[in-house]
Amino acid sequence: MGQGSCSQEDSFDLLNQFEHVLDSDPLIDEVGFIHPSQFTMLDKESGSSDYNKTSTNFWNQDHKLGISTDILTQLCRVAKHAFLAAFNEYKRHENISSGVSFVSKVMKHSQAVLLLSSDFGTAWNARKLILSRQNQPTLEAFTEELRLSRLILSNCPKSEPTWSHRRWIIKMISRSFSTPQDIVTKESELVESIGERSKMNYRAWYHRCWLVSYMTIEQVLQELNKSKRWAGLHVADSSCFHYRRRLMLRVLEPLKVKGSNANDDETEAHKIWMEELDWNKELVKRYLGREALWLHRRFLSLNWIMYFCRNQSSETGESIVMNEETVIFIDNEIHLLESSMTVPDNKFEDFQAQALHASAYMLWLTKHIPKLWRMLEEKLGTEKLKCVLNTVDQERPSLLLQLKHNNDY
Amino acid sequence: MSSSSSSSSQMGELVADKHVRYILMSEKKKESFESVVMDHLRMNGAYWGLTTLDLLDKLPSVSVDEVVSWLLTCQHESGGFAGNTGHDPHVLYTLSAVQILALFDKLDILDVAKVSSYIAGLQNEDGSFSGDMWGEVDTRFSYIAICSLSILKCLDKINVEKAVDYIVSCKNLDGGFGCTPGAESHAGQIFCCVGALAITGSLHHVDKDLLGWWLCERQVKSGGLNGRPEKLPDVCYSWWVLSSLIMIDRVHWINKAKLVKFILDCQDLENGGISDRPDDAVDIFHTYFGVAGLSLLEYPGVKAIDPAYALPVDVINRILLTK
Repeated sequence: MGQGSCSQEDSFDLLNQFEHVLDSDPLIDEVGFIHPSQFTMLDKESGSSDYNKTSTNFWNQDHKLGISTDILTQLCRVAKHAFLAAFNEYKRHENISSGVSFVSKVMKHSQAVLLLSSDFGTAWNARKLILSRQNQPTLEAFTEELRLSRLILSNCPKSEPTWSHRRWIIKMISRSFSTPQDIVTKESELVESIGERSKMNYRAWYHRCWLVSYMTIEQVLQELNKSKRWAGLHVADSSCFHYRRRLMLRVLEPLKVKGSNANDDETEAHKIWMEELDWNKELVKRYLGREALWLHRRFLSLNWIMYFCRNQSSETGESIVMNEETVIFIDNEIHLLESSMTVPDNKFEDFQAQALHASAYMLWLTKHIPKLWRMLEEKLGTEKLKCVLNTVDQERPSLLLQLKHNNDY
Repeated sequence: MSSSSSSSSQMGELVADKHVRYILMSEKKKESFESVVMDHLRMNGAYWGLTTLDLLDKLPSVSVDEVVSWLLTCQHESGGFAGNTGHDPHVLYTLSAVQILALFDKLDILDVAKVSSYIAGLQNEDGSFSGDMWGEVDTRFSYIAICSLSILKCLDKINVEKAVDYIVSCKNLDGGFGCTPGAESHAGQIFCCVGALAITGSLHHVDKDLLGWWLCERQVKSGGLNGRPEKLPDVCYSWWVLSSLIMIDRVHWINKAKLVKFILDCQDLENGGISDRPDDAVDIFHTYFGVAGLSLLEYPGVKAIDPAYALPVDVINRILLTK
């Protein structure tokens, strides 16, 4: 990248310019690094002729900020220097009253550097340090942190220190201002909108899973409803289905402890589980060969059998009894397997993937419930069972070896 | 299983010399935006680069004094290490610092009591570990604490039983592990949890067949491994998935020859370095994981690496076999 040999003065001018842009538009909600040739195109798109063009380095319109890729290296370097110098000064003066003047410098420069280098943990720490040293930090100060980290996530949706900073802020808010339930809702919506642009983003979905422990059971049920549409439109996003699993385990929690409402809880959980199973089956049939959907089914089916297909006398979820309900359930699963095995033409990859996932699904269940093996033999017959085994054997021979090892067949 | 080495000549070789040159050069390139954005984790970068050099038997081409004197400027008064001079300490960089000193056989210059107190001080009541004073909890930090303290022979400074219990509480129904209880299984987190359990002699907590099932389903058609369902393969998972499979004794469950080919296809044959996938841009992180993966696959000319400690086996033997 050009301009490597700029003078120090030029660099500080550039930093000042950047910080001025940030100051003058506190409502910026999206930031990105763009090639300078895109500046004119963006101007045309926004159609604004009164735009006061002051710089070829920054583009700022409608609360969107573009930073030219030509100056990134220089700007990032000077922002780091300025931040580290200010932070050192702050630490040196922390016990003296004059330290206050360094606070605003640290906040200003850390914001600049984080917008350019979001994983620079020391800059996030400096902000935490300053906030935690305030006698009575205001809610506004914390809200400002949520704004800044959200802005940074718009450019760096996978930045782990940024997500971690949000969690620290939320914990501080819940400690000083009681747990505001609407934060949970807003955070959840944030993850969903980021998940839209950044697919299968582990860090974003982890953040949403983290929120679950702060949710009331009513919120858990709302979240199950709200995330359903998104999941249905993103059937390859396993992280989103994991989020649903996390929520569904919360629904099961009351069943693990005996209480007066045990029956009501069980009816509710039973209904939710049944709906998820039915819905998953629809998706599995509509979107062929999706690994994420079949893995979700493994979780749903095993839990279903463990929690709802057991005799009243069986106290622990672990012991699986082949009662009538289990038999009916397994019967349906075998039907699903059969209908997923037809590959009309060997060239159709989706059908082949569907057959593989369906077969692996059934064998995975068999691994957990060895009694299933006999049912498979009875219902499928030797030929079809051989076909199931061959499908798995071609792609993942090791899975069959372990089953042969464990089961006697 | 077919052996990987017999077919390796047909699929192109490891261009070890070029990777060595790439690593030695990358330290000198400081003009790019990437290197400026990465300088907060220079300690990790140093570990990746130096371990790769050692695996290729080229560590002597580095000035030990230069590295060690820089490394010591990164130590904080608390005992923890930062990613670079003047930055804040974090266990992520502390482990790398300890590993680098182990590579150079220079652990004796450390104030072991101080470093180990820093790490032990981050254990929480429930057995988990925070990454630094700001309290983010993650099973990665459990692994780091256990691995560092084991290298420093100070595991008695923490409550190992509680640390193990916490890791076990992060196990999912699919046999994998996530960063906290209930978090999604991820190959990187699985490596950390299995590694920590291996070092503490607690692998009996792992359902090896079930976890092995999940791990071997990470291999995709190209032979590469992904880190989660439906993701693209990436060279870095050659390390995380493979090392986990080795620790639970299930490495024969994947097709090793296909994986070797996938890693070799990710090399920049002209300028050295390894990328995440064929034809992508190389970086030091993937260069390390590619070479480390080949080491686990017993590729000729690459020294053996320990799957739990992520250091060459001779380095670990030197440490663990001496009093």
